Amino acid sequence: MTRGEIKDVILEIIADIDEDADMDGLNPDEPLRDQLDLDSMDFLDIVMELRKRYKLQIPEADYHELATLTSCINYLEPKLKAL
Amino acid sequence: MADYSLIIIGGGLSGLAAGIRFARFGGSVLILEKHVIPGGLNSYYFRKGFLLETGLHAMTNFAEPGDKRAPLNRLFRQLKLSRHDFITHEQFSSLIHFPAGNTLRFSNDFSLLQEQIASRFPAEIDGFNSLLAVVNGYDPFTPKAWISTRVMLARFLHDPLLIDMILLPLMVYGNSEEHDMDFSQFVIMFRSIYQEGFFRPDGTMKDFLALLVDKFTSYGGEIRYSSPVESIAITDQQASHVKLAGGETITCDAVISTVGAPGTFAMLSLPRQEEKYAGRMTFVESIYILPRQTKKEVKSDHTIIFYCLSDQLQYCQPVKPVDTSWGVICFPENFQGMPPSDYFQIRITHAANYDLWKKASPLEYTAMKQEWGAKSREMSAKIIGNYEQNIVYEDSFTPITIERYTAKARGAVYGSPVKIKDGRTPCRNVFIAGTDQGFLGIVGSMLSGVSIVNQHILTDN
Repeated sequence: MTRGEIKDVILEIIADIDEDADMDGLNPDEPLRDQLDLDSMDFLDIVMELRKRYKLQIPEADYHELATLTSCINYLEPKLKAL
Repeated sequence: MADYSLIIIGGGLSGLAAGIRFARFGGSVLILEKHVIPGGLNSYYFRKGFLLETGLHAMTNFAEPGDKRAPLNRLFRQLKLSRHDFITHEQFSSLIHFPAGNTLRFSNDFSLLQEQIASRFPAEIDGFNSLLAVVNGYDPFTPKAWISTRVMLARFLHDPLLIDMILLPLMVYGNSEEHDMDFSQFVIMFRSIYQEGFFRPDGTMKDFLALLVDKFTSYGGEIRYSSPVESIAITDQQASHVKLAGGETITCDAVISTVGAPGTFAMLSLPRQEEKYAGRMTFVESIYILPRQTKKEVKSDHTIIFYCLSDQLQYCQPVKPVDTSWGVICFPENFQGMPPSDYFQIRITHAANYDLWKKASPLEYTAMKQEWGAKSREMSAKIIGNYEQNIVYEDSFTPITIERYTAKARGAVYGSPVKIKDGRTPCRNVFIAGTDQGFLGIVGSMLSGVSIVNQHILTDN
């Protein structure tokens, strides 16, 4: 998967989790949590969706890697490369 | 491989929420419900063509769609239910009614309560606002030692009458302790009732439960009714299967029990520990159905009236079968924008003594229902006027009814005064969700189911 495709996957998962998510004007380097007003329960949904879709196990110690859109892509790129 | 990854005991609101949460991500899950329909304490039944709801007076934690941090909307996101498609009806207003004309009105607009306190207890409003600042800054979800709400309130408020008035709705809608409550629980209840407020879903409890069951089964979850669990079998210190009352066994990797601490311990062949975990606050409720045209004969402009006709609120198990000196009078039709109907209901709730109802013979039980029903009507008539002559149908439930249909030990609707906040049991793959885990009310118990799945089942701790 390319970086662009990974970005689309993340945005699609967020839109799926939160029907009120406003993706316009999202700054890729600012925390998603603040911009979208998400909480830790919502973040667990992102992790669980990635597990469900790609059999990807993300340990709790790595959750902070998903803080911003850019850090998500950086973290997921090697893991999803083969897909 | 086990038959199911997860077995949930109890198809009430916490069990259904836990089930949806786990099934949503592809987990195989079975809910076992002992009754013929779902809902547990918040269910329904039919009599004479009327659909009667059990438990529900109102849902708490009202929030408009879009307010992302509100518990109601967080719950909907976790269950992947659309909050925009969920139509709600907010309360009109509610009343706290104490002796000598002392009343406070409140609604889903918090400023009404502040104005009422400022005008009726002018010496207390500054203290109330200081208390409010503490409530707003408090984190009630981080585990901490028990703190007395009455001691905390006495720091800010001086009039014992006002303290009891503020406490009555918060206690009667979710306090499993007698006389006092843990301050964290007070903060949760204060927010959910005074700052967020009462509403009800469009349609009936039957519709709401159908929404949840449909969501659950759409993710592949399975639910079986009339399936009481007899025991949870342990192999190598882990639950390996559950045994149904009929003898059938079903294997699983983990169990979430929503039947309360004593019932769960009994299934694990451990001592029930009722003296520690069985609550003492249980209730009787009478439901009256009256023709709509007689509604003007009673004082029915509020949604819920919380009354106390003695000088001090005795929030405890009464020494008599029922304590009619305080209670709740609910008008379930009094929510904004409800469709008109030919009838209206009055529901009246009082604290009750489980042991006295339990030991009554069938004849005595029927006589007690009649005697205390009459006393309840007499007492409530002092507040809303006479309505007895207009009743077309009535029914009532007691602590024994609650115990029979809901598995709540001693009929204690709010469960144990000692909460098991992390949901853990002596068995490492068996967890407790629902009332005895600590969140109460419909929204609270559902969040309990969600959070136990998040903490223990989805993440591998």
